[in-house]
Amino acid sequence: MTGPGLCPVSFISFLKRGIEMQKTTVVVIGGGATGVGILRDLCMRGVDAILLEQQDLAYGTSSRYHGLLHSGGRYAVKDAEAGKECIEENTILRRIGRHCVEQTEGFFARTHLDDEAFEGKWVEACAKVGIPTIPISVEEALRLEPNLSPKIKSVYRVPDAAIDGFRMVWQNVASARKYGGRVLTYTTVIGIEHSNNQVVGIKVRNTLTGEVSNIACDFIISAAGSWAGEIAALAGISVNVQPDRGTLIAFNHRITSRIVNRLRPASDGDIFVPHGSITILGTTSASVNKPDDTVPNAKEVVELLNIGEALFEDIRSYRMLRAFAGTRPLYSADPNATGRGASRGFVTLDHAHDGLKGFVSVVGGKFTTYRLMAEKVTDLVCGYLNVKTPCRTAEENLVEDTSPALMAKARLYFPAYGAELAASRLGSEGLEKVIARIQEKPEKRQLLCECENVTMAEVEEAAADSTSYMISDVRRKTRMGMGTCQGAFCTFRSVGAVDANGLSWGKDTNVLFKEFLQGRWKGIRPILWGNVMREMELTRGIYEGTLNINGAIDNEGI
Amino acid sequence: MKKHHNNPDSCTACTVCVANCPVTAATRKFRGPKMVGPTLERMRLSQDDIEPSLEYCTNCKNCDMSCPSGVPISTLNMLARAKHFKNRKRSLRDWILSHGEKMAKLSAATPGMANLGMKMSRGILKKIGISNKAPLPPYASKSFSKLFKNLKQTSYPDKVVFYPGCFINYNDPQVGMDFVAVMQANKFEVIIEEDFVCCGSPLVVNGFLDEAEENAKKNIAVLKKWTDKGYPIITCCTSCGLMLKQEYQELFHIEGVEEYAKHLYDAGEFLLDLHDQGRLNTNFGTLNEKYMYHAPCHLRAQGMGLPGVELLALIPGLDVQDADAGCCGISGNYGFKEDKYDISMEIGSGLFKTIKESGRDTVVSECGTCRLQIGHGANVKTLHPMTLVRKSYEAFHK
Repeated sequence: MTGPGLCPVSFISFLKRGIEMQKTTVVVIGGGATGVGILRDLCMRGVDAILLEQQDLAYGTSSRYHGLLHSGGRYAVKDAEAGKECIEENTILRRIGRHCVEQTEGFFARTHLDDEAFEGKWVEACAKVGIPTIPISVEEALRLEPNLSPKIKSVYRVPDAAIDGFRMVWQNVASARKYGGRVLTYTTVIGIEHSNNQVVGIKVRNTLTGEVSNIACDFIISAAGSWAGEIAALAGISVNVQPDRGTLIAFNHRITSRIVNRLRPASDGDIFVPHGSITILGTTSASVNKPDDTVPNAKEVVELLNIGEALFEDIRSYRMLRAFAGTRPLYSADPNATGRGASRGFVTLDHAHDGLKGFVSVVGGKFTTYRLMAEKVTDLVCGYLNVKTPCRTAEENLVEDTSPALMAKARLYFPAYGAELAASRLGSEGLEKVIARIQEKPEKRQLLCECENVTMAEVEEAAADSTSYMISDVRRKTRMGMGTCQGAFCTFRSVGAVDANGLSWGKDTNVLFKEFLQGRWKGIRPILWGNVMREMELTRGIYEGTLNINGAIDNEGI
Repeated sequence: MKKHHNNPDSCTACTVCVANCPVTAATRKFRGPKMVGPTLERMRLSQDDIEPSLEYCTNCKNCDMSCPSGVPISTLNMLARAKHFKNRKRSLRDWILSHGEKMAKLSAATPGMANLGMKMSRGILKKIGISNKAPLPPYASKSFSKLFKNLKQTSYPDKVVFYPGCFINYNDPQVGMDFVAVMQANKFEVIIEEDFVCCGSPLVVNGFLDEAEENAKKNIAVLKKWTDKGYPIITCCTSCGLMLKQEYQELFHIEGVEEYAKHLYDAGEFLLDLHDQGRLNTNFGTLNEKYMYHAPCHLRAQGMGLPGVELLALIPGLDVQDADAGCCGISGNYGFKEDKYDISMEIGSGLFKTIKESGRDTVVSECGTCRLQIGHGANVKTLHPMTLVRKSYEAFHK
């Protein structure tokens, strides 16, 4: 392991390159679904734009939810408008987002605990907004999903789908980049510059180097989600976003191959979503003061298990991987509205009305309707910029299909169950690069992360990307470390790979170890019993025993 | 946790199974039990693909035995193999090797001709993928069930049901006859049930899971009939025993298996129980002989220790040394396959070396195919423990 030392000059200039003396037409704040959607839309209409993200892409709420592409069934009864938006956007995304959407379909299942009267109301409300619901017998439902509780009373099929938040954000960025879009991660906004009540620029700080710089621009769009209130405050404007915390559980395997919703008025713990190799159950709902209050606790986990038992009665025999939490950005003009009482619709706030031209906040809304939100806010901004090009984000695919020839080639180099996943993560260009790495050194085909089937070559490719500064950035791009062992084996392997590749951000291996292991620990701590405890003891044995990581870190500090 | 919960959740990725897998040690072609079993099981639940190295798992169960979390790793592999082959055409080779019982019945009319035919057709067998070096077992001139019909037993109030299995029935009936003699010496009458069929072990390893389940249902109905009456069921073949007792529970969701499984015994285990109860005939004659012993993997997988060794230790003068050198490599019909023969011999090489170095010319082991492989690989004679127990009883009266 190397000592901490000072960052080499090359590293600083490497980081500086992206943020020094930049100029653009529009700055978009927030690297979540809405922000990347806006960036893509602007760039496709020919508007020059830079997106700023305070952490890594999809670090916030866009990866801290269950990854459900709603059919709208959940909102149909209480909020018909939201339900209608959902089914329309769901249909679009299933078409343009084939490489981040898994068309699982969904069930709405009424359990023995749920009000029968609601069922009729729900069927009627879905029909009214155009959400297809197909009733099937309980026997048929159990045949299709054998782990469902046999006590359920009635089941409907709906066109729900699973959507991978990480991949969706990355694919929007990839598409935007094709049209000239730029992205700066680990860049936080510290000031909004204006002159004569007109935005002229934005002041930012690189959170890794501490360096401060300015970007000249004509327009700022805040799509900062739960952080939107903090951004607006920088311009002295009040935006009432109430962060609402939702905790979720990731299970170790696919306990259902379809999304399963509880057929009752929207409440806690009533959605199960299969996602690649895992299943996610969520969520809870509680108002919090801070948008980054995302440390889950054991009480929430136990509550979710208690509720989830009505749909999957063996829920306690399924291994949990981790718990995680995100904050919904609930917006209300009424500062007293909270939780599920607040609207899930979205609002575009043109701060010209607050006396500052060139500043817009988009608040509220939900993942499923991110593209529509982006379209609305881009329409508004393009109006100001006098850009007449119409929105095409609903027509053009996020990423193009990988050609059959390239897929056939990929299958020669990737291990079983690996080629399709890698292709959807990497896109054609990335896939070619990873294949080239394996062609050059066949040993790079070996798995660095066995649980999630990620090759050494793919980890090295992700680590070399200009937006990677720590192992967790590589994790979000590859799913490395997100499977059964939660980093027990892939942490030392990935740190070794980064070190061996001489990457500029990988000089201090102690820091790399600590960042990644602590990130994993955050989600493990609230579920630390049963097999998770055994797994953690194995991990502790490897890192605290064999590798003496804590000792090394302490000694470095002296 | 539910018993025999066949999902990958208990695995902590500790990799102990890989360290204990004889196939992984012998060839890099197999990606190892952790990867192919529980790790890829998570992928199998979400995607349709095939792991090419799945075919290298022998179902020897050393992974299951070593797993500190009780994951039925080899069973996950067998289920995955069955899923893969469900709607696919199978090779003639795999069909032949899986259907030993059918082949035996076809040959039963003229076993001499069948054996002659087999010798002549080794070239043909090689063409379809059966190694011409492998120790294929010859058929016996008279099957166990034929020999048993002509045997006059003394009737006793205590009775046991014997499940002979295909190997004893068609290839090595003398083991069955020795077992009956031993039970008679202990004042037990042995019942043979004509309705028993192949336990399904060779079908499972080649992915014919549906047929294995049919066999399981037939056998379970018969087993249940006898265990309901309180009769113990005894096997001399450890793979049949494991299948009836444990693998049926892991592979199939058939009611009542757990109940009858309590009444299933390995012959050595049953006799040792009798000894504990003071009911064993201990009139053992002295045998001043030296043997090596090999514990079949499927015996060790049953978690009952080494009853054969303990039983033989009661015989005066007998010197039996446990080779304790791991898997022999045959794994039923795995070592018969052209593309697996070398791996099979490599797996067994440690055992063969231990046996040769011992200088002892005969090896005792419960499993029929282990005996074939050891005879072939170490160039020694082989015996079932029951044969020695019978010999000792007979020596007492001389």
